[in-house]
Amino acid sequence: MEMRARLRQVPLDLSAAWAIARKDMIIYYLRPNIIVSGILFPLFMFLAFAIGTIGGSAPPTGGTSEIAQLGALIPGLLAITVLFSASSIEPVSIPIERRMKTFDRLISAPISLQALVLGESISGTLYSVGIALIPLVIGVLFFGNQILSPVVLLLALFLSSLCFSSMGTLVASYPTENVGEVMSILNLIRFPLIFLSGVFIPLSSLPGWGQAVAFFSPLTYTSDLIRFGYNGASHISPILDILVLAAFIIGFQAFGNYLYRKFNE
Amino acid sequence: MPVPAIEVQSLSKRYGQIQALDSVSFSVPEGETFGYLGPNGAGKTTTIRILTGITLPTGGTARIFGHDIIRETIESRRHMGIVHETSNVYDDLTAWQNLIFTAELYHVERAGRDEWAKELLETFDLFARKDDLAHGFSKGMKRRLTLAMGLINHPRLLFMDEPTSGLDVQSNLIIRRVIRELAGEGVTVFLTTHNIEEANLTCDRVAIIDHGKIAAIDSPERLKKTIQSVQSVEVGFDRQVPEIKDGLMNIPTVNEVRKEGDKIRFFTEDPSAVLPAIIAYAEREHLRVLSLTTCGPSLEDVFIRLTGLDTENDRRPLWK
Repeated sequence: MEMRARLRQVPLDLSAAWAIARKDMIIYYLRPNIIVSGILFPLFMFLAFAIGTIGGSAPPTGGTSEIAQLGALIPGLLAITVLFSASSIEPVSIPIERRMKTFDRLISAPISLQALVLGESISGTLYSVGIALIPLVIGVLFFGNQILSPVVLLLALFLSSLCFSSMGTLVASYPTENVGEVMSILNLIRFPLIFLSGVFIPLSSLPGWGQAVAFFSPLTYTSDLIRFGYNGASHISPILDILVLAAFIIGFQAFGNYLYRKFNE
Repeated sequence: MPVPAIEVQSLSKRYGQIQALDSVSFSVPEGETFGYLGPNGAGKTTTIRILTGITLPTGGTARIFGHDIIRETIESRRHMGIVHETSNVYDDLTAWQNLIFTAELYHVERAGRDEWAKELLETFDLFARKDDLAHGFSKGMKRRLTLAMGLINHPRLLFMDEPTSGLDVQSNLIIRRVIRELAGEGVTVFLTTHNIEEANLTCDRVAIIDHGKIAAIDSPERLKKTIQSVQSVEVGFDRQVPEIKDGLMNIPTVNEVRKEGDKIRFFTEDPSAVLPAIIAYAEREHLRVLSLTTCGPSLEDVFIRLTGLDTENDRRPLWK
């Protein structure tokens, strides 16, 4: 496509991406498997760590009272909430749409594959930001969490949500009509990330190899940026966190675009 | 010279060891209703998937209104509407939401969009159910909604994959009427169907595809003329006469005799020579002839002959 035609297509693609995202919001946000994967799972994960913390079996997370200890877990809960909720929509919606043949409708429309991948990712992003606001507000109201930089925190939530929804869209490119198959692949990626990204276990407490691996995980930068938004402390650097998350987004989107094209051939 | 709506040259598609399409070439001028017939697995859906840019060919070219479907996919798709083989509507959206979502995917301008959507729902007898989820729709209603969605962008070219397969009479009638009206408005229709009579009635030309190759392309009438030997005389007697088979077998110039429902069909190259023999036989056996019809070759006969189904299935004479 020549450059002028490409530029003409950009607003059309953005508008179509938004239409796809809205369609997903109406159809998939309240699906039981998305609620389980996107909301209940991070909640249970948090409770497991919370019980461990109160019982004294988990590493100290700062604070003196049990309430303060739980409050200190909220940034970690936010990070895994974003990871699980953002990456839960497309691995469910896309295999279902393949099975119902509505996916053919999307890939035969006069839009680019980028628009399709972006549209699918936007629905996961907005879902995740909405869900993440729940623990955030609970933390402020009931656990006395202070937010030093709300703008950075919101930016962290948005960038991380887009990053993990792009990852979910990428994994959902696997050409199957079976939701379980995609979720299995996704969980193979998501679960190790929780333990290798400084979410509940600080990076400084990880062994050397663990710290090295953590730098390849987008969740590390999510967790670091969220903590910076809360208390101004960053193990890496907020600027670097933002740049790396942006790089992951671009990488997931581009690779997703490639795989959807490849699997379609 | 006007640009054809579809121009396909040496189109091929291979899936591993299977040659789904083998150097297929044809051209469809704008405004034509073009039927694409073939048995299951002949390559019909593969052709549509390539022409709509869903699947890439392994060889050859396809152009939609002059735009290469591979290099100018989006531009090619702007002109087309697609009615997929399955009624792929969103069950969890209402009829109205399905239409508007498709309009947004196809960049239909807001001005006039809602009026056109309303008109389409009325045309397909769905307006009263516009706010109902498609989940509760019957098969025919979903099919009609699929067709309405295919028309939301005012396409110049409409791809229809088995549009009336397995539908109720009401839906069939509505869809056939719309196809006729589209043809009247100059819309090009590319139609795949198993219903040969439907192709015979609605298509200007048909292509018969078998094992990934085009076996014939022409108008239904000209195709029928190519197999004039397959003419027949259909007779209805006043009672069942299975015992007459020996007599029927001996009528000269009859190639084959088949019992079809309560009638008997005599296949022949010369119906006029068969008629007196049948009448004489009826008199001799005290039978009353209730109906007697001479039939030319049908498009189905052409299809069966060209796809070789006659040698594989029930072309064996019943009594001869």
